[in-house]
Amino acid sequence: MARRKRALNAGSGDEQDVNLTPMLDVVFILLIFFIVTAQFIKEPGVDISRQDVDNDTAVKPLAILVAIDANSDIYMDKRLVEPNEVEFQIKELRKDNPKGRLVVQVDNEANAETLVGLLETIKKADGSTVIDVSTSPD
Amino acid sequence: MRGRASRAPEEAKVDLTPMLDVVFILLIFFIVTAVFTQEQAIGLEPPPPPVDTPPENPPPVIQIYISGDNLIRVNGRPTDIGSVRANIERLKAENPESAVIIQAEPEARSGVIINIRDQAYSAQARPVNIVLSGGE
Repeated sequence: MARRKRALNAGSGDEQDVNLTPMLDVVFILLIFFIVTAQFIKEPGVDISRQDVDNDTAVKPLAILVAIDANSDIYMDKRLVEPNEVEFQIKELRKDNPKGRLVVQVDNEANAETLVGLLETIKKADGSTVIDVSTSPD
Repeated sequence: MRGRASRAPEEAKVDLTPMLDVVFILLIFFIVTAVFTQEQAIGLEPPPPPVDTPPENPPPVIQIYISGDNLIRVNGRPTDIGSVRANIERLKAENPESAVIIQAEPEARSGVIINIRDQAYSAQARPVNIVLSGGE
């Protein structure tokens, strides 16, 4: 028995030689999975309560998220953004992500004034005629 | 690769360890940065640009007014939020050309606007405009 082991390990010292190939296969598959699913989205980072509606669709690919919280403050990329700053911020984020869609996360309690003002700003900055507003997932 | 190596034991063995290190670092990077954000969304129209001269024959409109305390009026009639869709459908049946205007006071809740826009989608109303009321 001991002799056979020694014979197998001949040439690579006395340490056990583990076959790494299957693990390497698995690691590569994981790596490719995470590369393919990676999306670099800057999240607003505020909790909002969404409206439950019938006519919503899944948005993909996502690119930019803008949030209005319950106090009608606008957040992008985990920072409070002044309403007059939003247009600039959207254009900045568009440089990284020119293709994806922009979604507004608006809290139920936010003022209509802020929402409509933000819709106008996004229309101006992004040129979209219909703006996606996040709703609660089914 | 393995078969060839076993058949030709004299061939030099490639040391995979540095590549494995790099692959693991990449893997950890992508795991850490992975965000699985899913968003369900409904489309809202931004308010149209102001026009100086109103059109000659403006189409009939279904005006849904949301007051600051979230009371809803459809063409001036107080309406419960659950029956907005039925009202839109009834007014559309009378006048299929009607455009829907959601007019909200600045203090109204956004949730109400989204809910009413959703009901307008259900009633297949088109076009729908969302505007702020000038506070008259």
